[in-house]
Amino acid sequence: MVTPIYIIVALLGVAFALGFSGQKQIKAAGTLALGALAFSLFVSLEWLIGLYTETYKSTQIFTAGVNPPFSINLFMGTGEALFTTLINFIGLFGGLYLFNKLIKKGRSTFIALLMLIMGLNVVVMTRDMFNLFVFLEISSVATAGLIILNQNKKSLAAGFKYIIATGIIAGILLIGIIFMYRFTGSLNIDDIPTGNLLMIKGFGTAIFLILTSILLELKPFPANGWGLDVYQGTHAGISVFISAASGTALLYVLYKFIPLMSPSFAFALSLVGGLTFIASNLLGLKQTHPNRLLGYSSIGQIGLVVLVIGLAPYLGDKFEYIAIALLGTHVFAKAGLFWISGIIQKDNIRKWTILRKNKLLTILFGVFMLALLGFPPFPSFFGKWELITELAGNGFISWMVIILLGSFLEAVYLFRWLGYILKLEAAKKELQPISWNKYLPIIISAILLIASGFGMSYLHEHAKFINYIPLIVAAAFILIDRLPVFIKNTLAIASVGLWYYMMYPDLEEFRLIFATIFLVGGIITLLAGYAYKGKRQGFYPMALIMFAGLGGLIEAKTTLEFFFAWELMTIGSYFLIIRGKKSISHALSYMLFSLGGAYAILAAFGLATVNNTGISLDILANLNIYAPAIFILLAIGFMTKTASLGLHIWLPGAHAEAETDVSPMVSAILLKAGLFGLIVMMIKMGDQMIFGLSISYFLGWLGVFTAIIGNLMAALQEDAKRLLAYSSIGVLGYALFGLALMSHLGWLGATSIAITHFMFKTTLFLAIGGVVWRLKTKNMYQMGGLIKKMPFSFISVLISIIVLAGIPPLTGFAGKWLFFNAIMEKGWYLQGALISFAGVIAFLYCFRLIHSVFLGQLKDEHRNVKEAPFWILLPQYIILGVLIIFSAFPNSLLKPIGEFITPYLPNGALVWDGQMAYSLYGYWNGELIMYAVVGIFVAVLLWIIFWNRKIKKVKQFDIVYAAERPFLPETTHYAYNFFAHYKKAVGILAQPMISNFWEGVSEIGHSVSDKIRRIYNGSGQAYLIHIIGFIVIIFLFTFGGF
Amino acid sequence: MILRNSLLFLLLIAFAAIIISLFSTNYSEAEQLGIVAKHYAENAKAEVGAPNLVSAVVVTYRGLDTLGEVVILFLTAAIIGFMLKSKHSVNNSDKRIKGSEILETAANALVPIIILFGSYIFINGHLSPGGGFQGGAVIASAFVLLVMAKANAKLSHKIISFTESVSGFSFVIIGVLGIILAAGFLDNTFLPLGKYGSIISAGAIPIIYIFIGLKVGSELTSIVNNLKESQNIEI
Amino acid sequence: MIFSLVNISLIIGILLVLAGIWAAITQKNIIKIIIGFSLFDTGIHIIMVALGYVKNNTAPILDSENLRTGTADKIVDPIPQALVLTAIVIGLGVTALMLVYALKMYREKKSLNINSFKDLKW
Repeated sequence: MVTPIYIIVALLGVAFALGFSGQKQIKAAGTLALGALAFSLFVSLEWLIGLYTETYKSTQIFTAGVNPPFSINLFMGTGEALFTTLINFIGLFGGLYLFNKLIKKGRSTFIALLMLIMGLNVVVMTRDMFNLFVFLEISSVATAGLIILNQNKKSLAAGFKYIIATGIIAGILLIGIIFMYRFTGSLNIDDIPTGNLLMIKGFGTAIFLILTSILLELKPFPANGWGLDVYQGTHAGISVFISAASGTALLYVLYKFIPLMSPSFAFALSLVGGLTFIASNLLGLKQTHPNRLLGYSSIGQIGLVVLVIGLAPYLGDKFEYIAIALLGTHVFAKAGLFWISGIIQKDNIRKWTILRKNKLLTILFGVFMLALLGFPPFPSFFGKWELITELAGNGFISWMVIILLGSFLEAVYLFRWLGYILKLEAAKKELQPISWNKYLPIIISAILLIASGFGMSYLHEHAKFINYIPLIVAAAFILIDRLPVFIKNTLAIASVGLWYYMMYPDLEEFRLIFATIFLVGGIITLLAGYAYKGKRQGFYPMALIMFAGLGGLIEAKTTLEFFFAWELMTIGSYFLIIRGKKSISHALSYMLFSLGGAYAILAAFGLATVNNTGISLDILANLNIYAPAIFILLAIGFMTKTASLGLHIWLPGAHAEAETDVSPMVSAILLKAGLFGLIVMMIKMGDQMIFGLSISYFLGWLGVFTAIIGNLMAALQEDAKRLLAYSSIGVLGYALFGLALMSHLGWLGATSIAITHFMFKTTLFLAIGGVVWRLKTKNMYQMGGLIKKMPFSFISVLISIIVLAGIPPLTGFAGKWLFFNAIMEKGWYLQGALISFAGVIAFLYCFRLIHSVFLGQLKDEHRNVKEAPFWILLPQYIILGVLIIFSAFPNSLLKPIGEFITPYLPNGALVWDGQMAYSLYGYWNGELIMYAVVGIFVAVLLWIIFWNRKIKKVKQFDIVYAAERPFLPETTHYAYNFFAHYKKAVGILAQPMISNFWEGVSEIGHSVSDKIRRIYNGSGQAYLIHIIGFIVIIFLFTFGGF
Repeated sequence: MILRNSLLFLLLIAFAAIIISLFSTNYSEAEQLGIVAKHYAENAKAEVGAPNLVSAVVVTYRGLDTLGEVVILFLTAAIIGFMLKSKHSVNNSDKRIKGSEILETAANALVPIIILFGSYIFINGHLSPGGGFQGGAVIASAFVLLVMAKANAKLSHKIISFTESVSGFSFVIIGVLGIILAAGFLDNTFLPLGKYGSIISAGAIPIIYIFIGLKVGSELTSIVNNLKESQNIEI
Repeated sequence: MIFSLVNISLIIGILLVLAGIWAAITQKNIIKIIIGFSLFDTGIHIIMVALGYVKNNTAPILDSENLRTGTADKIVDPIPQALVLTAIVIGLGVTALMLVYALKMYREKKSLNINSFKDLKW
């Protein structure tokens, strides 16, 4: 056990001793400095471990041999140990990272670094207010010295702004401290009488000045221009210290002063924190300079922690957990991002494409970014979860909105940045070789981030039950990423299969159906992966993360597990989608809609815990308050995945641009996750009323319009995969409608549509994907006549669209038949009429698809096209086989589903007699119809072949155009603008109104951001005025007047 | 402009109101010492042994603050040295700038006396008004005078920085000796307190003051020296 | 006793603080801004010393007379005096640093107007 005073002794002693060294021994001197930092880290870490395992007791350290308050004393408790560990970690590894740079600049820089870290250590540990002031000044001066590491115009201006701002702040702190001494006769924090003394002017003003100046050091909006300029102006390696070390220390100081806060000041504090969080993330939207952007994010994150500190009294014993989870993530992630930025050294985030030349750094960047945004399995995920839950428990709805909105804004710019890195045109230059001392800190931060995520989850009473194995398996695929596709694909199929096998005994009802769609469906689509050659790097980890999420949804017993899995699925699918060709904007909008939806779900789950015990999913079944709100939030959240009208604009691009086997994954499988969520929600919650109206009634209408618009848009596409994508929107509209019926038959129909949609959409996307694979184009007007070249694909598409359109004898008809029965039963005739109208439109695009791709005339350049690869055809035919069986023997599918539904919705179930199903309105025999239709079809086919045997065939290029000269080459193709006549009639429905709406929202956000950020006009003086104004406003807020 | 200034003036008034509100309720002119000050008045003789209570507070009771303030000067001197370090390190301006004769002669006579006076101040810091900072500042003023008077005088960076480091390092060592030999960091009682009121008394205070004096003197000198040299480069 | 020595010094201290801030937020010349900071600091120091004054008491140096007459606590508060010493030195360090910054900034742009250093913004 080493007394913490030796941290000071070591850092100071070495700093003074550095004066002995000349420029020649600078390397030894630098190593010595790092040694002192390592020693400090060791001491604080030892204390942390000792205190945590309760082998050490928290200790007072007296100086001068006299007891406090007569001398200065330091305190080492768990909090101090944790925070000094964080600070010393940043000190040591930040120093290591900058080692070469500091060596070049001379020993003074090492002195400044040592003194900065020493100052911050004392700031955390001291219990004496004036001592706090002195060591705060030390760290400010040291920071001012480090800022000008690169002496140029920018860093000088930034440093000067920093000095004058912190100068004013320190002066005000000093005034507060001296008056505090005057009123209490002591400088010791523990001697200040607590209670609502802040309410009394005089004494209260002194406390107010102290608290406000600490708050100002944390760069609250809008008095933070100086901080932002520093982030932009200085070396990224220095920003690490400011953001991760100084911010951490000052937050701890604020924490120490919590007992002094009056409720009104605490409220002001949380208000300022919330405002800072939202505002700095909003302003980040327009920012393109990476370091300044990270600065905005940094200030926002610290604002969030300030908000949490302000709300501390309400968070109860969860306060520390939340604060540490959020702060720990901030420290490691922000340090890592700044360090990466220091390696890249580009002044615009669009130039960061160079990063992707280095796979390891790219992965690390992703890790830090996801951690900042609170994705699992990082600590902030659990922190945010607890925070939202506690806020909901206190009825703080507006705080929830603020936090979720701020997080969302942060996600916008971070994911945009990630998209640029992954997809913008690559830079020509290679990355400079990176020395180990720059790698090491980044890697260690990432490891600690992940480790602390597991730690936080272990400490959480519910999160410790989360099943991490699938995620670990997915992560293991990163390690074998260099192996060829064949091996990885086999392993992936094996692991998904194994999981399904292990899960199978526990599955029942809907969980069985959806587990089969998710995992067995996953295996079938993975089969297509064998068609790929080479390594296909990065595909398998991401696909498996998605499947880990999907499987997790099935396994989830608690809301936390459900949300955890939901987020995993979102991350995995995002990375799958962004692999597509022109996917940069689609992947972003996919992620933003998904996140928006995820936050709605988070809020709903938070609200569901109010007046409830535990977080099992069953709490949804007995809600006391907020039930309609929870229903709506959950529905919105799930409908972002089912892409219901209004929330659908991400889908067409994302699905159309994805790779051949990714399209079925994200379309046929992923969308069902939303459906699964809706089903779980409706089973637990039933229907909800709002203002006396049933919400499912609205959902029903939403389903109707989704179906119509989705189908209509599908009919008007030129791009075959886009057509299929819009068709998914339409079909899921049906499914939503079916669920909204809240009747046995409606659910039966919806479930059977979910299953058949999975099947036909997989075959369609694979078949069309195979065509695109060979033709290298997705435009239907560049295809045609492929029936002879790709007969297997043709048959697959033919059967699928028969199912899709709901034509007998195939199983799609069963869905339709059930639907119309259900509609009659419910009496929603208008909706029923519109739904059947949507079905008519579906005929149009089905016809267009098969006609313009496979029928008509073959293009000259496609004469040598081959059939799609075997591995792409195989999954299609597996599914087609199952489809035929289900069609011929409908009770094999519908009967068990009916039995699943009966416990929840018993009325109006089908009665089965062999393959004959009876409903209220009639009967249907799938088997018989199958035989009849097949018989008629064969007869007609034979008839046609017989009569057409003498027809003379015209050669393809016999045709001559009339004297018309086409403007565009594609206009000469009959398949171009195929449904021009319908477009004239109903095209108004197909206007991109909803896209325009969301673009408008984005536009408003960005222009507001641009307006507000003008307050940071770059003048140091303006920043001083902001600071003084800030003090005055907070004073008025706290005391309600002068 | 006028509008801007009047708005700023309003802001200043508002800020003044905050400051004045510090005096609003429970402020009154002090009639007696607070608890901590009273403790010092009564026990400093036994605990520290320095008649000058300010020194007792500065060096012992609040020794950590003093260490901090030494650090700030040290840090400032280091940063200034770093900022002013010329890229082409040696200035070969062989231009002989002649200082005034009177100044030069006076400087020759005064510098030793000033240094002596400074030393007196910090050696007697524990007895009478004064101490390391004051003494160090006085010593530095001697070097400022020297630098002013003799334009070409070069003070050796090495010696300055050596003095600085030795005294700073020793300060820390004395602090640690306090932990090992007495009751805590910077405890001055590991040396005998001696006869109250004599030069050699009050434990380690005089020694600490000597080091502080040397350190402050060398640091302030180094700042002035750096500024002066940087000026030469510009010409 | 509104115009006691203590109150006068407190008023002067506050006025200096305000004057310093005024200079810092209105003057365009960087040197003048720094002077404003010095005023601000000095004002705080005066306030500190004035707050430590105890009516009718003497300097906090315990000479033999104090001890003999048993009036050791008839002194003014030594703590603010010690604190002000520290604060002065810190102020000195910060001011020196500011001045060197000003010097370097002047060399970069040949201007001491604070508004010529607005490259970083938004």
